[in-house]
Amino acid sequence: MRPKFQLPYVAALLIMVLLLGSAQADKILPYQIHQKKLSNGLNVVTVPYDSPGLAAFYIVVRVGARDEVEKGVTGFAHFFEHMMFRGTEKYSKEEYSAILKSVGAAANANTTQDRTLYHMTGNAEKLELMFELEADRFQNLKYPEIDFKTEAGAVKGEYTKNYASPYMQLYEGMKNTAFDKHTYKHTTMGFFDDIVDMPNQYDYSLTFFERFYRPEYCTIVVVGDVTVDQVNGLAKKYFGDWKPGSHVSDIPVEPKQQETRYYHLQNGGIPPLVQLNYKSPAFSDKEIDMPALDVMSTILFSQTSDLFKKLVLEERKARFIGGGAGDSRDPNLFTIQASLIDKADMQYVKDEIVKAIEKAQASGVTAEELKRTKSNLKYSFAMGIDSPGSIAQTLSHYIQLTGDPESLNRTYANYDKVTNEDIMMVAKKYFVPTGLTIATISPDAEGGVK
Amino acid sequence: MRTLIILMLMAGIAFAQKVVELEQPKSNKVVVKLMFKNGSISDPAGKEGLTQLTASLVTGGGTADMTYGEIQDFIFPMAASYFSHVDKEVTTFTFQVHTDFIKEFYPIISGLILTPSFTEADFKRIIVNQQNFVDQVIRASSDEDYSKMALEDLLFRGTNYQHMKQGKSASVSTLTLDDVKNHYKQFFTRNNVMIGVAGNYSDKFLKQLKSDVMKLSDNKPAMPEAGKPNRPEGINVEIISKANAFGSAIFTGYPLKITRTDNEFAALMIANSYLGEHRKSYSRLYQKIRQTRSMNYGDYSYIEWYDQGGSYQLPRPGVPRSSNYYSIWIRPLQIAKQLKMQYEELSDIKVGHAHFALRMAIREMNLLVENGLSKEDFEATRTFLRSYIKLYAQTPEQRLGFLLDSRFYDRKDYIAELDKLLAKVTLEDVNKAIRKHWQVDNMYITIVTDESEAEPLAESLRNNTPSPMSYSNQLKSGLPDEVLAEDAIVAEYKLNIKNVTIVPSADTFK
Repeated sequence: MRPKFQLPYVAALLIMVLLLGSAQADKILPYQIHQKKLSNGLNVVTVPYDSPGLAAFYIVVRVGARDEVEKGVTGFAHFFEHMMFRGTEKYSKEEYSAILKSVGAAANANTTQDRTLYHMTGNAEKLELMFELEADRFQNLKYPEIDFKTEAGAVKGEYTKNYASPYMQLYEGMKNTAFDKHTYKHTTMGFFDDIVDMPNQYDYSLTFFERFYRPEYCTIVVVGDVTVDQVNGLAKKYFGDWKPGSHVSDIPVEPKQQETRYYHLQNGGIPPLVQLNYKSPAFSDKEIDMPALDVMSTILFSQTSDLFKKLVLEERKARFIGGGAGDSRDPNLFTIQASLIDKADMQYVKDEIVKAIEKAQASGVTAEELKRTKSNLKYSFAMGIDSPGSIAQTLSHYIQLTGDPESLNRTYANYDKVTNEDIMMVAKKYFVPTGLTIATISPDAEGGVK
Repeated sequence: MRTLIILMLMAGIAFAQKVVELEQPKSNKVVVKLMFKNGSISDPAGKEGLTQLTASLVTGGGTADMTYGEIQDFIFPMAASYFSHVDKEVTTFTFQVHTDFIKEFYPIISGLILTPSFTEADFKRIIVNQQNFVDQVIRASSDEDYSKMALEDLLFRGTNYQHMKQGKSASVSTLTLDDVKNHYKQFFTRNNVMIGVAGNYSDKFLKQLKSDVMKLSDNKPAMPEAGKPNRPEGINVEIISKANAFGSAIFTGYPLKITRTDNEFAALMIANSYLGEHRKSYSRLYQKIRQTRSMNYGDYSYIEWYDQGGSYQLPRPGVPRSSNYYSIWIRPLQIAKQLKMQYEELSDIKVGHAHFALRMAIREMNLLVENGLSKEDFEATRTFLRSYIKLYAQTPEQRLGFLLDSRFYDRKDYIAELDKLLAKVTLEDVNKAIRKHWQVDNMYITIVTDESEAEPLAESLRNNTPSPMSYSNQLKSGLPDEVLAEDAIVAEYKLNIKNVTIVPSADTFK
């Protein structure tokens, strides 16, 4: 007998809201977020969490590829992340490595278009050592020029491994086509010519550190077997004397796109691909646009969507279809893509995607679809926060966007407010041919999708 | 969080019908894992890829009551999820659901396992992607994964461990829906399954689960013996020549006799962590090849299979193996064509950095074989590992996965037992394990590289031609003398090369 879902899930949702209400009224995160801003501008976020002996220690620096505004230095935020492992006056790179090893943590860093993230997850008893190590390199990084030139080769190696993927090649070309002025034009890795030239940019690297590795750009996030007083005390002790800076990046504003653009990658070694990239808004925890787009993308392009059922399950013309907008500080792209069986179906699949959008523009979605999607968003979140690292990662995501981890709770509250009218509004506002860049992969010399 | 780990051994054959429990009363979810001792090694000859296709069709299809699309619709508001994972010797189905929906979700678990629909439409949809993976994706999307799979293809040639779990181009095209139905009945049975459950579940739930699992086929599958890796004589190199490759991606390996079952594994783990801990900047290979010389993104060594190393910084559960090998992963290096374009002063080089990097990695390993680990390095590495291994299992799903893997190796809780073994191990144990299990004279090497690089690199390797490191002038002028002096030694370091072949990409995995 087929189970019925409506009543149980509505009831469960109610119970979940009630339960959450007891700890964190109206907030998706069932743990309190403690924030303390030091006088130098450094924000310190602590979330005590029941993980005996384990703590996640993250530092979010709100600098990324977005801040690479000068010509010839694309990829520098990412490169600089590499340089942060090259030692200080107090600890050479060898000593730093040895101490890091003694912490026994899972430690690394990564860079995106909007932020650089340094993270360690390990023994909570080593928290003070984690603070000391990070405070030293964030304030006193010092490397010889030869180390700088050497590290540039590792970045080239990273590009070399990534570039083996045709999808990475498409991504690089598509961004370069979709943007004219804004720094989202280049990937986080940067343009290859700039990567090859990196060893010549030592002086710029000193400027970069001076500008961005400042307390006002950074937030410390600690989640796990810790107390708020302990974390705030260590933050003051090790980061309290850090001097603030004054730099503000002058990010170019992207001019309004006037017509559909095209980028094609000729490659017969992988399945044909059609990608529609529409200009989309910047993240906001106040405006309804991005939450409405998130809800809409789930209804229109997820594995339960009518489009997926038609193109993947019934007609079997597409191997996969998916879509959505990534959160970013400035207006970016809403991407829908389909991997196909046969290149002859590229135009058909593109037309079907557009039809689904046009339907949303004309009549929106059903009340049932809205309700189910909101439930999915909440339960997906609840299921995902099952370790100190996953909570710290989630908080870091919202910190990079607004500087405030409470944006997480506000965003999920906004999901609840999304109406069918909001869906129709964003469908009409953002899904227009003059905001579209079509990217394709096929064995042919031209994409051929109109 | 208070956690109870209870092992219940029921009557039956060694692996079958064990139940591994990880009670977490404060958790908001329940995780169920069903691990079948049945992986790609049980694919019949000529039907390679059948186990993968069968598992994919269970989780990518429907039940007697619901189609795949209806299941997805049904579980969508719950955000419940499930997936299958096939490896050489086991296949695991994992289900996760919020405690609010255990009752509603349970029929999906039992339905998929007991009454998978195995429809023609689902079969056609899923096999086309598996065919595409073996035809195109493995050759075209990551040269690192490509060289890793090619190494297994060489190491295990002629055995049931040779083929990728997805199969081969020729074999996948022969698979039928009847093959899948028969394979499920023959190899996914009550007699080779282990039940794992974690989180906040009730006794009633577990009782129902155990009762339903007992309704699986009562066939007693004749599991083939796991294929053993070939023992190469000398160093055998296979260069895979590919159009428009941007670099040279390398894996090397040779058979290793021990696994997690052996206590000695802990000693070798310390040596390996020192030489090449996965994605760690404090290992020897990383420091020599990447940090000092800037040759690539990273260099690591392994004493067991590491699943999806490009995506994960910590090892994943679900890949226990009884047939083992040692390996070194050298991430893509610059080729001559690229270096010539980038630096005028390198316009006359014949090969890129692959030969030098191979020499350096193998020499570093040999230095350990000859000299052993120092007391200081031993202590530092042991301290690191005793903390680090506890991070392998941070989520309920990971913890349950490692507990199930433990049973495969005849252990109860591998991570806890490993910590005790690490605490006891001595420097002498480590150096003895190195001398016993490590050598550099006999191994396989696979290199995926550009067409322009293949022949010059093959010649260089065949003749043990000196391969001086080709730095750009701006880098070379600033490097310390000791680095350049070591480079001179490495450039002439003799490798015991016995055979080098070049295989066009289209001819791999035949």
